[in-house]
Amino acid sequence: MESLPPMFKAASLTTEYLLQGSIMEQSRDVLLQRLIGLCDDTKSPPDNFHDHEMVFHMKNTTIQQPLVYRVRHSLVQSDCWSLRYLGNTEMGDKNKPTLTRTSIDCPVSENVVQYLNELGFRMDHEFVVKGYYFHKGRMKVTVSKFFKMNQPSNVADNLEAVCPSFLVELSVVTALGQEGVGEDMKNFAEQLKPLVQLEKTDHRKITMNQT
Amino acid sequence: MIQRVQEIKNSIGAFLFKLENEYHTIQWPNVLDNFALLSGQLNTLGKLLKSEKVPAFQNCVLLPLLLSQDRDAELEKLTEGRVFAFNHAVVPDYLRTKPEPEVEERIQAVCNKATGMNAEMAQKQINAMNKLTSNILDIINSHRESMDSDASQKTSMSQTFSQTDTSNLIAATLTGKGLKTNRRPDIGQQPGTMPNQPQVQQKTQAAMGKAPSSIKTNIKSSSHPYQRN
Repeated sequence: MESLPPMFKAASLTTEYLLQGSIMEQSRDVLLQRLIGLCDDTKSPPDNFHDHEMVFHMKNTTIQQPLVYRVRHSLVQSDCWSLRYLGNTEMGDKNKPTLTRTSIDCPVSENVVQYLNELGFRMDHEFVVKGYYFHKGRMKVTVSKFFKMNQPSNVADNLEAVCPSFLVELSVVTALGQEGVGEDMKNFAEQLKPLVQLEKTDHRKITMNQT
Repeated sequence: MIQRVQEIKNSIGAFLFKLENEYHTIQWPNVLDNFALLSGQLNTLGKLLKSEKVPAFQNCVLLPLLLSQDRDAELEKLTEGRVFAFNHAVVPDYLRTKPEPEVEERIQAVCNKATGMNAEMAQKQINAMNKLTSNILDIINSHRESMDSDASQKTSMSQTFSQTDTSNLIAATLTGKGLKTNRRPDIGQQPGTMPNQPQVQQKTQAAMGKAPSSIKTNIKSSSHPYQRN
């Protein structure tokens, strides 16, 4: 790998183009119907997922921001685990239709939690996410609801929805600099209006408002 | 006028080229655009021909003086290679002023039928036709009404999304806002280190002087397991 010229490395598919929005519970079915109509070979009811995500942090003495890894596993298929790193979200300038961030996702075995703990990562929080996913070409659409787990490591009972609305995400993971992707996504987002307003949401503002 | 014709020719050529070379990528809206362009150009040409300034072509007489089987270089150049010779094969096509005999026959048959019908029958048929059209009109109108009301309903439809919810959800996915619980120091978790970290973060944020009230409660909740320990 080291011997490869840099241009081959740059082509790795680690850039996620992202648009986000939300849909209220009572309008969810309308949105799902529309997505079934718009996306590639979808059936009714659409494909759904039910995942448990654990977010691991590692503190760093020099940088205030912790290093964050996310472990997600399906509660339907027990052997389906993945580890994900998400970079900082970049707004880009006005001409860029989407957010971009680094996204590295890899399948792992279920002892990844133990491994991360050994490395010095500590679990910051965990949650359960339920929802539906769609594909349209290389675009992926997820409609998901987040649940707080009132009892640690109990993914079945005592769940509490964080917010009655569903988060709608439209994303493509590909190589950096493929601006055509952004245009495609913008056009697709346009088709979901006025039901959902998929847009670039400044993550820095949200993180700051929270404090 | 020749320029107009030239334009139409060019756009037809471009469209054909597209159809032949990009038939697997071309999109339907694109095809429709091309059709719209062609029909617009044909319309302007039609208007031009109908306008009074242009002498009616009907009044011009064209007389084929000479038919020859030989290749005519001049003619070939004029027609851009489409017609090689002004011969017996092409003349009937190019100088046709009447419809083809078969077409003429069919028109004649229809005309005969129309004249052969008596007035009463005709009146009946006209009535039936009127009834039919008014029925269709009614259907279209009722459809339009229902569509209009649908549209107005859509605009008056309550908000289907909320900006605050979007922000909340994104915050939850990013930083776990609203997802953190009072966790027992249990399996695989080293007590102490875990609640420690948010505390550090919040202290620095408090020093920045932002929304102190929520921070206080957060510190309390996150330090619970610590005390119990």
